[in-house]
Amino acid sequence: MASGTKTEKTVKARAELALNDEFLRKAVRFTTERLRNGKKKASEEHGNWEEWRERGRQIRLHTIAHLDYYLNLFVNNARANGVHVHFANTGEEAVQLSLDIARHASAKSVVKSKSMVSEELHLNHALESIGVEAVETDLGEYIIQLAGEMPSHIVIPAIHKNRYQIAELLSKEAGYTLPPDTTALAGFVRKKLREKFLDAEIGMTGCNFAIAETGSMVLFENEGNARMVTTVPKTQITLMGMERIIPSWEDLEVMATLLPRSATGQKLTMYMSGITGPRREKDGDGPDEMHIIIVDNGRSLQLGDPEFQELLNCIRCGACLNACPVYRHIGGHAYGSTYSGPIGAVLTPSLNKNIAEWDDIAGASSLCGACYEACPVKIPLHDMLVYLRRRKVESGNGNKLESLGMQGFATVMGNSSRLGGVLRLGKLGQKLVVRSGVIKTKLGPLKGWNTYRVTPSLPKESFRDRWQTLDQELKQGLRPMDPAMRQRMEELVKQREREQKEGRGGHGHG
Amino acid sequence: MADAHKEWLEKLESESRAKQEQFMNNISARLGHPRMTAKPQHPFRGAPDFWKAFEWPLEERIGQFTSNFLSVGGHVARLETMDEAKRFIAEKAEEMGAKYVIRQNEPELDALDLEGAMPASRVSVWNTDPEQHWRARAAEADFGVVIADHAVAYTGSVTVLSAENKGRSVSLLPTVLMIVIPIERLQTRLGEVLATFDEAGRDKLPAGIHFISGPSRSSDIENDLTIGVHGPGIVYALLVG
Repeated sequence: MASGTKTEKTVKARAELALNDEFLRKAVRFTTERLRNGKKKASEEHGNWEEWRERGRQIRLHTIAHLDYYLNLFVNNARANGVHVHFANTGEEAVQLSLDIARHASAKSVVKSKSMVSEELHLNHALESIGVEAVETDLGEYIIQLAGEMPSHIVIPAIHKNRYQIAELLSKEAGYTLPPDTTALAGFVRKKLREKFLDAEIGMTGCNFAIAETGSMVLFENEGNARMVTTVPKTQITLMGMERIIPSWEDLEVMATLLPRSATGQKLTMYMSGITGPRREKDGDGPDEMHIIIVDNGRSLQLGDPEFQELLNCIRCGACLNACPVYRHIGGHAYGSTYSGPIGAVLTPSLNKNIAEWDDIAGASSLCGACYEACPVKIPLHDMLVYLRRRKVESGNGNKLESLGMQGFATVMGNSSRLGGVLRLGKLGQKLVVRSGVIKTKLGPLKGWNTYRVTPSLPKESFRDRWQTLDQELKQGLRPMDPAMRQRMEELVKQREREQKEGRGGHGHG
Repeated sequence: MADAHKEWLEKLESESRAKQEQFMNNISARLGHPRMTAKPQHPFRGAPDFWKAFEWPLEERIGQFTSNFLSVGGHVARLETMDEAKRFIAEKAEEMGAKYVIRQNEPELDALDLEGAMPASRVSVWNTDPEQHWRARAAEADFGVVIADHAVAYTGSVTVLSAENKGRSVSLLPTVLMIVIPIERLQTRLGEVLATFDEAGRDKLPAGIHFISGPSRSSDIENDLTIGVHGPGIVYALLVG
């Protein structure tokens, strides 16, 4: 079962596991590359991308800045549509509401389409604890649910599994052996989940956008499982982050332009559905009863915080993951939380309010800014990572060893005879560890570095040692040049200039 | 039982209404302004102006829709009349051996008389008999036949709206989906269709608005594209007129 509780290990330990998994590394690199190129192509083809990004940012900024107005409007309109709207301050409250609804629907099973909020709440566990089967119906989510793992990518959750592993998992479920063939595997899932859709009393969804002016909720997907979940069962529950709001359908055009292109490079996902209330009295399908649970769970803490409010602008496209050099190497599991990549590195500690406990994931970044460049609503994630690191140090949760090291560095570098002494000591000491001119030991302070590289040895004669001689040589060299030599050099320069004028010579950049 | 359920829902609603105030007050307090009750100025509503002015002539719309729909694995046929559409659907049904067909209950489709054109198939008409389990009828169907309410060339999308006579299941559960698109409903931009929902307003919207841009698909297994994961794997867009 998908579980997002933080494990004991650090990001570094989990990243080491990921780095040692050859298939995972290749798969993550391949997929992120594919998605990144897809996005690049789609945004170039569409044109005026910067203007669209800016427009997307403005709409999100405006909505969040007036969230009390727009969320309230949404709630009132959804109620007028016949939706039962609920509020959950915490994840726990959202879980209790969901369980209450499941009990009253006498549900035996719940079919779910992809929802990051439900991952955030660990809802599947809770449902199972009251004897309700929770079935993830997105193909990738279904696979990782059978494997009992967490999603490793926002958009492609089972990116880390190969077809042989998937065939094994699905064969266990089928009770007979399935071939490691994509079409056969997907065919089995289609059949299996069809039964689940038709049996389930409750369909549960996330929410990509909620339209304030009409109380509608919008879902983007490719498989059709979200449509199944909102069409077939009698009761629908939608879990919605309180910040998912946009004012109007017109604004949806901007989001529909940015989201699929940024996520997968598509012009539009195969399905985009706007659901406005439960089925009308005479409709032949659609849910009889519809609930929307609006979840805070740490989100409102970002409101009014000048450094982090823009986090709420996120439209969950995953483009920052695909752009991030760190994510592309270690994959999503190394982050140890529901949300991975640059957005996860900022969102997780912010939602959890406990920067100290999640401190190490803010360190899993090179601050290169690729995430900001990729973000369709221009969230300055790299700045936020710096703010997080600063807050961590300010709250007294900095790395003790690092501070000690920095102090030591200052002491040594602040005084030249001290530096000379340390270098002499080093030259003596390294005799123990240098083999054929390099240091390969994985003991002591060089362990981290030497795991993937070797450390060069200190030279017999350092730059500092040679400085006296160099200094003298330089001073002599500055004396006037021998006239014959000077003439020869000037000739050469003139010749080159002539050649350049005639279009010959290799120094032009043309 | 029914009363108990209603009572429970009423209890939840009164709790929700009480909490709504607290929730909204918390937001406005955090944002540092008093509760906003008047509609704020929204100078950036919708797409940029240059985009709103963009429109293709009809032939370009047809060409773009076709190439977009084909590029994701859908099929497109350009037909002159509804009669041609009827022949096309009947021929495909025969070719693929479609036994069960379900269609929306719309006058344009009534006029097609698919029932007469496909004697080998059992054609059911959505929601015409209250005793039927209509979701099951749609789930067993080989073919689903619908009429598009709108279509968008730029994204290669078709819009279907739900109603008493138009089931959501008909465009979702069958194996093959046939979408008839009267050519005058084909627009250039997504925004042209979306704007109609703002204009209609909350109480005029149907429960389900669905944009369909091709066959159901997934790349979740080793990035390998699979078609027809949950929804129809074969989708025909018939541009008529």
